[in-house]
Amino acid sequence: MQNSANQELIACHECDALQQATRLPPGGVARCICCGGHLYSNPKGGLDTPLALSISTLILFLVANTYPLMTLNVAGQSKDTTLSGASWALYQANMPELAAVVWLASVVTPALIIFCNLYILASLRFRLRLPGVRALLVWVTRLQPWGMMDVFMLGILVSLVKLSGMAEVKLGAGLYAFVALIFFFTASAARFEPHLLWRRLKGST
Amino acid sequence: MACHVCGLLVQARPGHHPHCPRCGSALHFRKPNSLSRTWALLLTAMMMYVPAMALPVMQTSAFGSTQGDTIMSGVIYFLKGGDWPLALVIFVASVMVPILKMMALIYLLISVQRHSRLRHRQRTVLYRITELMGRWSMVDVFVIAIMAALVQMGNLAQITPGLGAVAFASVVILTMLSALSFDPRLIWDHQEQLQHHE
Repeated sequence: MQNSANQELIACHECDALQQATRLPPGGVARCICCGGHLYSNPKGGLDTPLALSISTLILFLVANTYPLMTLNVAGQSKDTTLSGASWALYQANMPELAAVVWLASVVTPALIIFCNLYILASLRFRLRLPGVRALLVWVTRLQPWGMMDVFMLGILVSLVKLSGMAEVKLGAGLYAFVALIFFFTASAARFEPHLLWRRLKGST
Repeated sequence: MACHVCGLLVQARPGHHPHCPRCGSALHFRKPNSLSRTWALLLTAMMMYVPAMALPVMQTSAFGSTQGDTIMSGVIYFLKGGDWPLALVIFVASVMVPILKMMALIYLLISVQRHSRLRHRQRTVLYRITELMGRWSMVDVFVIAIMAALVQMGNLAQITPGLGAVAFASVVILTMLSALSFDPRLIWDHQEQLQHHE
């Protein structure tokens, strides 16, 4: 197992097959010769595109969390909810554990991922050498599966169909922002490539 | 050996517990105690699956009468109402995915423990799908949270979450943790030993 600068070896994280890492054309994806697993990719746009997408994601995230998602009207009474409001309802119904799980998956983890991505990308793009970049890149890799905004979106759709049968539902500004947020979040995640970022980090120190 | 977190290859030295020079995470050849951890989390998830299906996930009270809904009664309600696409989404995400995921993990664990030499690649793909699908089961928990937040009309109509929802969320989290502690490289280990012998 040796690791020289021009002939970099890489081990597949799914089957541990050692293979040579080659330079990819922009937009290319490297797959494992043994099991076909995703090794790394070279997203188009360098650091600028993911940085721009992360900034848009942050703005949309703030809007989606501030304004109500939807409003329910029943016989003259109306009730609206924000993203965090869904978790708050569970807390008030005496289920603090469940409330914590929902809040972590729908608000806290996505917020941390967005913030970490932005911090790491800005640090590398502008050569700022901000403290803690390595630690954050470790954490963002671990947090990835626990951010569930896309699943929450499906949850919103299902509840919309459920509720529209019983009462009048009005969509709020928060929901439109949330839909856009999902697209931007996914797009920026697809262009956030830890393999390349680690290599850049290695070169910067 | 390769770092689990950042993927850097590091020269292995026996006798001490090294840390990755690039990201600082602890280094292992394979995830530590992968099989026993996966089994433990999986068995707990299987136990929690029973109350998750049996207990009501939410209580709907309207005009003074209260009704408890389990996950299956929700699916049946939509089927009767002719909303079969929605019934399918909930059935697949809440009932099928957890069961398939637990079955897939049992199969992967047993095949690794029996040193199976069959279909390495297919088993790796199965693991990949298991890892990706798991989070989507949370959809029902989110639906319950949104419904409970919106339907707060006092005596007119009120939805409160039930204990089944807690059990169900724990099933989803436990199966996710179980899949994360499984090391797919174990599938290939026996293959490598064989090639070394030849």
